[in-house]
Amino acid sequence: MHPTDRLRPAVAHALWHLVLAGASLAMAFPMLWSLLTSFKGPQDVFSPSPLPWPATLDNYAAVLSSWPVGMLVGNTFIMSAGVAAGQLVIAVLAGFALVVLAPRMRPAVLSACTIALAVPPQAIIIPQFLLTTRLGWQNSELGLIVPQLGTSALAVLLLVEHVAAVPAAQIEAAALQGARPIETLWHVVLPAIRPAILAVGILVFITTWNEYLWPLLIAPRSHDATVQIGLAQFQGEGGTDYGALMAASVLTSLPIVVVYIIASRRIIDSFIKAGLRP
Amino acid sequence: MKPLKLVGTLGALSLVLTAVSCSSTPSALSPANPVTITFSSYTYGVQGAAGTGTQKLLDAFAAAHPEVKVVPQSIPTADVLTKAKTDTAAGNPPDVVQIGYSKLAEAFQTLPVQSLEQIAGNEWKDHVSGINQALVNTGKKDGRVAALPFTVSIPTLFYNADLFRKAGLDPNRPPTSIDEVRTDAAAITASGHKGAYFGVVDSGKSDYLTQSVIDSAGGSTVGTDGSVTVDSPEAVRGLSSVQSLTRDGLQPAVGLDDATASFSSGDLGMFVVSTAVAGSLQKAAAGKFDLRSAAFPSFGAGKAAPTFSGAGLIVLSQDQAKQKAAWEFVKFLTSAEGYSIVTKNIGYLPLRADLADDPKYLKDYFASNRLLLPPLGQLAEVSPYRNFSGQNPNQAVVILQDDAVAPIVLRGADPQKTLSAVAGRIRELSGK
Amino acid sequence: MTQKAGWRPYLAPLILALAVWVYGPAVFTAVLSVMKWNLTTPPSGLVGLDNYASLFRHPEFARAAGQTILSALALLPFATIIPLVLAVMLWQRPGRASVVYRALLFVPVVVAPVAVATAWKFLLNPLQGLMNRILEVFGIPPVNWLGDPGTALLVLVAITAAKVVAFNLVLYTATLSGIDRALVSAAELEGATRWEISRFIVGPHVARTTVVLALLSVVLAGQWTFTSVSVLTQGGPDGVTDSVYYRIYALGFQFFDTGAASAAGVLVLLAFAVLATAWSVVRRSRRASH
Repeated sequence: MHPTDRLRPAVAHALWHLVLAGASLAMAFPMLWSLLTSFKGPQDVFSPSPLPWPATLDNYAAVLSSWPVGMLVGNTFIMSAGVAAGQLVIAVLAGFALVVLAPRMRPAVLSACTIALAVPPQAIIIPQFLLTTRLGWQNSELGLIVPQLGTSALAVLLLVEHVAAVPAAQIEAAALQGARPIETLWHVVLPAIRPAILAVGILVFITTWNEYLWPLLIAPRSHDATVQIGLAQFQGEGGTDYGALMAASVLTSLPIVVVYIIASRRIIDSFIKAGLRP
Repeated sequence: MKPLKLVGTLGALSLVLTAVSCSSTPSALSPANPVTITFSSYTYGVQGAAGTGTQKLLDAFAAAHPEVKVVPQSIPTADVLTKAKTDTAAGNPPDVVQIGYSKLAEAFQTLPVQSLEQIAGNEWKDHVSGINQALVNTGKKDGRVAALPFTVSIPTLFYNADLFRKAGLDPNRPPTSIDEVRTDAAAITASGHKGAYFGVVDSGKSDYLTQSVIDSAGGSTVGTDGSVTVDSPEAVRGLSSVQSLTRDGLQPAVGLDDATASFSSGDLGMFVVSTAVAGSLQKAAAGKFDLRSAAFPSFGAGKAAPTFSGAGLIVLSQDQAKQKAAWEFVKFLTSAEGYSIVTKNIGYLPLRADLADDPKYLKDYFASNRLLLPPLGQLAEVSPYRNFSGQNPNQAVVILQDDAVAPIVLRGADPQKTLSAVAGRIRELSGK
Repeated sequence: MTQKAGWRPYLAPLILALAVWVYGPAVFTAVLSVMKWNLTTPPSGLVGLDNYASLFRHPEFARAAGQTILSALALLPFATIIPLVLAVMLWQRPGRASVVYRALLFVPVVVAPVAVATAWKFLLNPLQGLMNRILEVFGIPPVNWLGDPGTALLVLVAITAAKVVAFNLVLYTATLSGIDRALVSAAELEGATRWEISRFIVGPHVARTTVVLALLSVVLAGQWTFTSVSVLTQGGPDGVTDSVYYRIYALGFQFFDTGAASAAGVLVLLAFAVLATAWSVVRRSRRASH
C-alpha cells in the first residue's frame, strides 16, 4: 500500500457512514415522527414542531386502558405465524422437489407461480371469500390462514434459488449414504438455507400482519379482530385521535421489531459464527 | 392439477347459483329464551366518545330488554356497506346495520332491507311522531319507511374567535352568508392567518356538503323527478362562490385533513364541516383558542339549506323472531332515551325536537354545550339528503366529488364546463 | 440422481394451494367478467364483452394502466440496485454500526400502513408540514405534495419505494450471508480491491437473486403501490395516482360492479401474458442468433 493511500480508507469509511446514515434517516423518519407524536397531548398533535413538548404518556394510558392490545396482537400473531409457517412448509417442500427430486418440473411450476402472482388479489378476493364461507371457515383461524397460503408462490420463487445453491455434492453424498429424501431435506438442505428461510418467513409474517381487507371480511366478531382493523378504530366519523393512533401503532409494532431482531441475528449469523467479525 | 382446478371452479360457481334460504319460526320473545341479533356499527368499538357512547346504548338496552341479545360488530366507517354486502352474499346478513346516508340508496337496491313500518305494525305511528320528519322521509323504500335516523350531523361553521378579534372582527357576530364569510376571511387573511375553509372535498367522498352548498344556492343535485341537476345555474353559482374563495387566496387549496390540522392548530379562521367532528375540535382547542360555532351560511337571496350526513338504522333479518327483536332494538335506539344517550355521549344532534328543552333529557346538556346550538336550530328545516337514481348511486357521488368538486374548488377548473361534463357522465350512469 | 421417485407429496401442497386459492378463483373471476353482478342480487346472464367495453368508454382505466406501468418502471431500481448496494455496503463492514443501520433501514416494513400514511400526511401537509418548513428555510415556496397532480404520483412512488428497499434489503442480506468469507479473505490477501471483490465474488453470487427480484418487481410493483394509494390518495388528485389495482378495488368494493372489476382483473392478467410472450420470443430469437 502506498503511503498516499493511507487517507483513502478513512475517507471511504466516512462515506460509508454518510450514505447509510442518510438512507437510514430517510427510511426511518416517518416512524420516528410517529413515535414522537405518540407523546403529544391533544393540543399539540397538530403543531408542526416534531418535538413532543410538554411530553405526555396519556396516549399510552388511554390505549392500554380501553384498547384490547393483547387480544389484537395475539390474534394477529396467530394469523401471521400460521400463514408464514404454512407458506414456508409449502415453499421448502416445493423448492426441494423442484431442485432435487423433479428438476424437469421446475420451469413449468415456476411459471405457474409467476402467473399466480400476476393475478390481481383484489380481483379474486370475492371468489376466495365465497369459497371460504362455503367451507364454513368464517370466524375461524382456518379461514384467516388457509386462503392466504395462495400467495406461497412468492416464497417458492424466493427460496428455490437458495435450494439450488446448495452444493449438489452434499445432496448426492447424503443419498449415497442411504438417506431418504426427507432426511436429506432435513439434515442437508434446511441448515444450508436457514438464513433465506428466516428472511422470507419474516417478510411473509409482516405482510400478513399488515393485511386489512381479508381479516375484515373473515373475522367480523370483535374478539377475532386483528391489529390493522383495531387501528382503524381510532379513525371515526368524529375525526381521528392521532396521538392515540400513533401510540397504538408503536405498541403493536413492537412485537414485529422483536421478531425481526431475533431473526436478523440468525440471517447474518452464518458469518458471525465463522468468527469473521472485525 | 386439472381435477383440482375443476373442483375449485365448480365449487365456487355453485355458490352464485345457490339462493339464500331462511326458515322462519315465529316465537314470542322471552328472557328465558332470548333471541340473538347482530348489529353492524361504525361507532361501536371506536376509541373515544363514539365507542363509549355506543357501549352505553348497548348496556341500557341490555338492561331493559333481557329477551334480546345484541352482538355488536365494529366495522370501519368506509367499509360498512362492503361488509354488509359480502355477508349477505355469503348468506349471513347482519340483522341491524348503521348505514351512512350516502350509501342508503345502494343498500335499498341490493340488500334485503325490511320495511320498518311493516315490522312495527301498530306501534309505528306513536313511535315516529316526534322524530324529525325530513329524516324519517329520507328513509323511505318503495313508499314505506325502512330506515330510521340514528347518528346524524349537519354541516356548520366553526370559527376561531381569537383570530376574529385579532383581525378586528366582532366574534359575537359570525358571518351568516357566503358574502360575509368572504369579507371576514379577507380580514383574517390580512392579519396573517388562513381565512376560511369549506370541507366540500370530503375525505370519505360523500357529497353532503356539496349538496348543502348547492341547495343553499337554490339548486339541487337531483330534481324532484329524479333527473340529474348538478349542472343547473344554481349549482354552478354555489360552487363558483366557494371556488372564488380559493382563487382570491382566502381559502387554502388543500385537502380536508390538512385543513383540519390547520384549524386545530389555531391558524385557520373559519371551518365549515360536519358537526360530527365538534368533539375532536373541542379537544384540540381546549386551552388553546376560543372555539365557537355558527349556523351554515346562506348563499344568495334564499335561506341556508344544509342537508345532513351520518347514518340511519336498517333491518335485514328475514326471520320473524329476529325481525321482532331487531325492531325492539331500533325502537330503543331511536327513542327519547336512546337519542339522548347519543347526543350526550357522542355529540350527534338529537332527532326528536322536544328533547333539547326537556329537563328530563337534554336541557342541562345544551345549557353547557353551546357549540351544537346553532346547528340544532337549523336541524328543524334541514334539506333532505338526495341520492342519485339508477344502479350505481355510489359511483355517481364519487364522480361528482372527484371529477367536479375537487378540481373546481381546489384547482380552479371552470365550474360550468366541469359540472356539465360530470352531469353527462352521471346521467349516462343512471340511465337518464 | 436416484431420488426421482416420490416428488408428488412434496409438490402437492403448493399445487393444491395455488389451484384452490388462486387459479380456481381466477377462473371464477373470468366467468364473472362476462356477467353483471352486484354481489347480492342474482347475477345476470351473459353480457358478452360489455364489462370490458365499459372500461374503455372513459379514459380512467387506460390512464390508470399507464400510471401503473410508470410506477412499476420507477420502482425497479428500488427493488434491485439500491437494496443491493446497501446490502453489500452493510456486508462489507459487519459490526455494531451495521446492525444499527440494518435495523433502521428495516423500519418502513414494520410500521402499520395507516400509521405510515398518517405520518406522511402530517409531514407533507402543505400549510404547516415539516417538509415545507424545511423548504421555507431555503426560500422555496410551499409545495402541495400529495394534492398537486404534478407531484402526487412521484411522492406516492417514493413512499412505496422506501418499503420495497427495506423488503429486498432483507432478502439480499440473506443471499450475501451465503458467501464464504474465507474466499473473501483469501482474495484480500492477494491484494484484490474492494471493487474487484464486489465484481468477481459478490456479483456472480447475487446475480440470480437480482433476476428474481427484478421479475418480482415487474409483477408486483403495482400491487405494492396499492396500499399507499388506498390509505393516502384514493387515486386522486384528478386521478393521477390511480392504478389498475386500485381501479379493480374501487369497482369491486366501492361500486360493487363485480363484472367490471373482474374484467379489469382479466385484462391485467392478459397484459402480463402478452409481456411474458414477448419476453420469451426475444429470448428465443437471441438464442437462435448465437
